[in-house]
Amino acid sequence: MSTRVVDKVLVANRGEIAVRVIRACREMGIASVAVYSEADRAALHVRLADEARAIGPAPSRESYLRIDRILDAALASGAHAIHPGYGFLAENPALARACEGAGIVFIGPSSATIALMGEKTAARREAVSAGVPVVPGSFEPLAEEAAIAREAERVGFPVMLKAVAGGGGKGLRLVASPDELGSALARARSEARSAFGDDRVYVEKAIRRPRHIEVQLLADEHGNVVHLFERECSIQRRHQKLIEESPSPFVTKELRHRLGELAVRLAKRVRYCNAGTLEFLVDAEGAPFFLEMNTRLQVEHPVTEMVTGVDLVKLQIRIARGETIPFRQEELAQRGHAIECRVYAEDPQQGFLPSPGRINALRVPGGPGVRDDSGVYEGWEVPVHYDPLLSKLIAWGESREEAISRMQRAVAEYRLLGIKTTLPFFERVLRHPAFRAGEFDTSFVEAVLGAGDEREPEIEVAVAAAAIEALRERQKALRSETGVAPRSSWWQAGLAEAHRGHPG
Amino acid sequence: MRFDVTVDGRKMSVEVASRAGRYVVTLDGTPLEVDHVATGDRFASLLVDGRSHDVGIEKRPGGYVVVLSRGAVAVELADAARGVGVPAPRTRGPTALAAPMPGRVVRVLVAPGQEVAVGAGLVVVEAMKMENELRAPRAGRVREVTAREGEAVEAGTPLVIVD
Repeated sequence: MSTRVVDKVLVANRGEIAVRVIRACREMGIASVAVYSEADRAALHVRLADEARAIGPAPSRESYLRIDRILDAALASGAHAIHPGYGFLAENPALARACEGAGIVFIGPSSATIALMGEKTAARREAVSAGVPVVPGSFEPLAEEAAIAREAERVGFPVMLKAVAGGGGKGLRLVASPDELGSALARARSEARSAFGDDRVYVEKAIRRPRHIEVQLLADEHGNVVHLFERECSIQRRHQKLIEESPSPFVTKELRHRLGELAVRLAKRVRYCNAGTLEFLVDAEGAPFFLEMNTRLQVEHPVTEMVTGVDLVKLQIRIARGETIPFRQEELAQRGHAIECRVYAEDPQQGFLPSPGRINALRVPGGPGVRDDSGVYEGWEVPVHYDPLLSKLIAWGESREEAISRMQRAVAEYRLLGIKTTLPFFERVLRHPAFRAGEFDTSFVEAVLGAGDEREPEIEVAVAAAAIEALRERQKALRSETGVAPRSSWWQAGLAEAHRGHPG
Repeated sequence: MRFDVTVDGRKMSVEVASRAGRYVVTLDGTPLEVDHVATGDRFASLLVDGRSHDVGIEKRPGGYVVVLSRGAVAVELADAARGVGVPAPRTRGPTALAAPMPGRVVRVLVAPGQEVAVGAGLVVVEAMKMENELRAPRAGRVREVTAREGEAVEAGTPLVIVD
């Protein structure tokens, strides 16, 4: 039973996640309002939504991070609710607070919860009070380099420097030894300042060869909390995820149960509401350590949707309307296996450097068990101003083996021309014996890239295709020079037909 | 038609002829029967000795980039009849580190005259919300630093020249 009317939703985001939310709205009969910067006028989310409103110039701090303009757009369009997506303002308590003040439903937890869990050191303190184990390290932000060095010495190198306001791998640096601390600190602070406007950091002991496992939660305002099992997110580069899957090939039934229980316990302690995710590091012995809570929808939510059959975005909206979660923990199960590959505009051969530019041609795979959550289209120019995520390719199978086979098939069908993408990297990972065996940790990407590739692209095929193309272009040029129009057999058949008169 | 082809630094001689809608591509004397169908503006399906290949193809100055599922292959083509040579890739002499993408120079980490090792950080460029440390492609002495902190750069803009 809903207590609030939500018939129109403003999506305060861009790219694939804005498209994802707009699609959920459309399926629910809810009108959608897109917002966009000048650089995104032609973006897919703008063109797909029912309405669209410009909110400023290209830099996100003048558009997607402008709470005043987003709120104005919501009020002017008559939207009842704002969905923040992920990134940008999703974990900024100021947007949730502004919504609360303006009588607009914020599709997410309360501003107080976001503020509490967003301060990573405060979240660590809450976890400890809830009896959830955390990674050894500081429980308060550290300002002085000397204090950071002392804490690092205390927990022991290697350590992680982390932004107190962190998320998305920004403001995060691994420090192997004391002499690296100074430059790593400068880089982490500068990144944190530009990403979150907050350059405070804290120290955590770096867990050796950890698995990155997270638990999806749903909680309603009536006190019901369920978890939707784990996602395996260990395939990362620069602390950003590239491949996720559910279930994790590493998690035993006992560990799954324990992770779920820990997640629900922490959510209940902070009286969480709406969708959220608890991230854990699991060490080689299978001991979980709470890392942080993301008080929003995750990029990789589709793998959970595929194995549980639950549409998380629709449930976020229903929970925001005041509804009760329509199922109990015992009714949830993981069916089959799902994998997600993040298609980024990055060049895996050059250390994943960004590769913005025009998408000259695009062919997206389909067929059984394949889902493409994309925010782009052929002919669109990927702007330099934002995150380089183009699309998320998701494959589902009855077993992990089938999911991998489907993903391999889908990656092979996927063609995106004009810019570099992470697709060729996925082709390598998916056939890597360690990945197929489920034996990997967060150092996997570097290991794969460092190993070199034994299977080269088929040079002969590439040369043949290029030579034929050159010949065809030459022939076309000759035809236009001599004024002879190209003639297809259809054209000639039609001409012959015309000479004979209309067919009976 | 005959071409001098360079792929990945490897040179080969290629001849291509169309025959009744099909093609014969001869690579360094070995003929390949290719059934070619354009399946889109920049896509083609090739049956090479009966094996099917789906390729994306894009024109670039001096050749094409062919996109296969295992990655993109740059194919440089020079018309052999016209005698246009393909310049060999430079392996010695000064190397310019160019911005691989448009962005903003956040920090310059080296100064002219400084000796750098392979993989040493030279410049930090922010693009797509990430700070990217651009590293020395080889060891040498920094001849010139053209990057300026705070400056916006286009893809291909030289940032540091290493001797």
